[in-house]
Amino acid sequence: MPNGSAKNSASVKSADAAAYGVLAVISLYCAIPFLWVFIASVDSEPSQFLAWPKEWSLQNYINIFARQDGFLWIANSLIIVGSATLIVMVLGGLGGYALSRSHGWWRRPFLYTIILIRVVPPTALIVPLYKVLLTANSVVGGIVRAVMPPDLVRPTMHIFGFIDGYLGIILVLAATQLPLALWIMKTFFDTIPRDYEEAAVMDGATLMQTIRRVLIPLALPGLGAAGLFAFIIAWGDFLMPLIFLSSAELQTLPLGLFRAYMRVNQLDYGFMTALAVIYTLPAVIAFGFARRFLVQTFGGGVKG
Amino acid sequence: MHTPMVETTTGRSSPMTLTGYQRRAAWHLKLLLAPSVLLLGTFVIYPAFYSIYLSLTNEALSGPAALNPRFVGTRNYVRLFSDGGFWNSLLVTFWFVLGSAIIGQFILGLVSAVLLRRPLRFRPLINAIILMPNAVPEVVAGFMWVGMLAGGEHATLNKIVAWFGIPSQNWLVTFPLTMIIIVNTWRGIAFAMILLTSGISSISHELYEAARMDGATPRQIFFRLTLPLLMPTIFLYMLVSTVTTIALFGLVYALTRGGPGGATEIIGIYIFNQSFTAFQLGFGSAVAVVMLAISVVIGIGYVRLLKVQV
Repeated sequence: MPNGSAKNSASVKSADAAAYGVLAVISLYCAIPFLWVFIASVDSEPSQFLAWPKEWSLQNYINIFARQDGFLWIANSLIIVGSATLIVMVLGGLGGYALSRSHGWWRRPFLYTIILIRVVPPTALIVPLYKVLLTANSVVGGIVRAVMPPDLVRPTMHIFGFIDGYLGIILVLAATQLPLALWIMKTFFDTIPRDYEEAAVMDGATLMQTIRRVLIPLALPGLGAAGLFAFIIAWGDFLMPLIFLSSAELQTLPLGLFRAYMRVNQLDYGFMTALAVIYTLPAVIAFGFARRFLVQTFGGGVKG
Repeated sequence: MHTPMVETTTGRSSPMTLTGYQRRAAWHLKLLLAPSVLLLGTFVIYPAFYSIYLSLTNEALSGPAALNPRFVGTRNYVRLFSDGGFWNSLLVTFWFVLGSAIIGQFILGLVSAVLLRRPLRFRPLINAIILMPNAVPEVVAGFMWVGMLAGGEHATLNKIVAWFGIPSQNWLVTFPLTMIIIVNTWRGIAFAMILLTSGISSISHELYEAARMDGATPRQIFFRLTLPLLMPTIFLYMLVSTVTTIALFGLVYALTRGGPGGATEIIGIYIFNQSFTAFQLGFGSAVAVVMLAISVVIGIGYVRLLKVQV
């Protein structure tokens, strides 16, 4: 059969070549925008177009921190998204455990609600959400004005305010990411046998001790996945900061980038591309870790 | 006191202490869930129902209605269904979902998933490249493509199409809807690929072996074996990607802000513009309620399809 196998391997080779051809076109489609942003960010004379630099330079990155408030934007993004992620992990872990272990009548409706919340588009909620936050903000504002000296009211509201303050946007981002985390953690705890907790309870541990010593170590992989997804989506979110943040002191990376390229007459492509690279990097790294959990988040796979 | 029958008849040795413990445990579990319920109730569930109320008022961000909003009944809905901008946004959303999620992402994702099953040398690299657009934040994606699609003969896409003899143009002005479809396709290939890859890899190898033994060509194997067995995954993909594409805002807003002249005003952008540019919160809420209804109907389909075990 030497003839047959030679013919076979030739056809495999040509099929591989065809596969490479198609994949190369798809890869170029995917990669070219990234090539432009990355190359322009290290070009000393960057432009809006993909071109090989005459001279390489890191000046664009330095400018973000030296001439602009780069540190502030990164810090704001990290504080807001980091806090939201932390809240999601804590509440998702506790709530997911409760959903996995309880037998109450409310469990089934609650889980269906969680799934339905995941299909609610954030844009459909922005108007009522704005009204809710406006009300909460005036309540907080009243309290802050009553207890704080006048010159400290504005800075305090930047932290505890619901409109144009950290607290409001953190809670909104946490609430939008929580359903997925609850679902991930519920299915995760379903796979952990109850023997561990029951043994701890038999040994006289309280609920809090059981959670801290037994359940958290067991749940770490699930918490990691839940946290990664919350981080990626909240980090990339543009709608909520656009509506709920306006002060320069609270500027985040997506707002900074968007406002920079809306200034039509003075576009600094070096600045914008370098900022885009800085903003993209954490998302891509987190996505690399989260990739293997992605399929499981859609209901534990489909049986064909 | 109100111990249910099931618990007293389980035949445990000490039912009294056990139910006492169980009741306390059930109470603890509710306590653990309480913060989540509070957060979701305040920022998701209550707003969702509140939007129905708002849609029946003339609530506004400025002007006399802002100070003294009135109940106007179904007036917003009557206006909505005779409003050209609303129908335009529904139509734009329909073409956008069809072009990017149902056709573009699906076909390119399926092609990538099938081709990347081959033991190619550069498989990990190609995989990573296809995944990148999915990981990038919305604003960065918009910013990248504004550059790619810009006018002028030095712009990147214009340089590429010049090889094929196509004249330079300002793509986001001449073909706005097609361009946002192309950009969203670019962003979503990875999601389709990941989901379809997992579907393909769950098809038994023995079936492929048997088909090859019977002398089936690769084309026959794909159309008679892979595709039919992949149908449940494809259907799941269609539902999930339709819901997420309807919900899209940031990517298109960063590219075109709905322009030129409403040509890319998908429903999310229409709501945003009506509510926060035209300041008509009541009218914006009516659009939001319609959008909510469409998404929930698809969501119920999703739950049924998955036969989610809860």
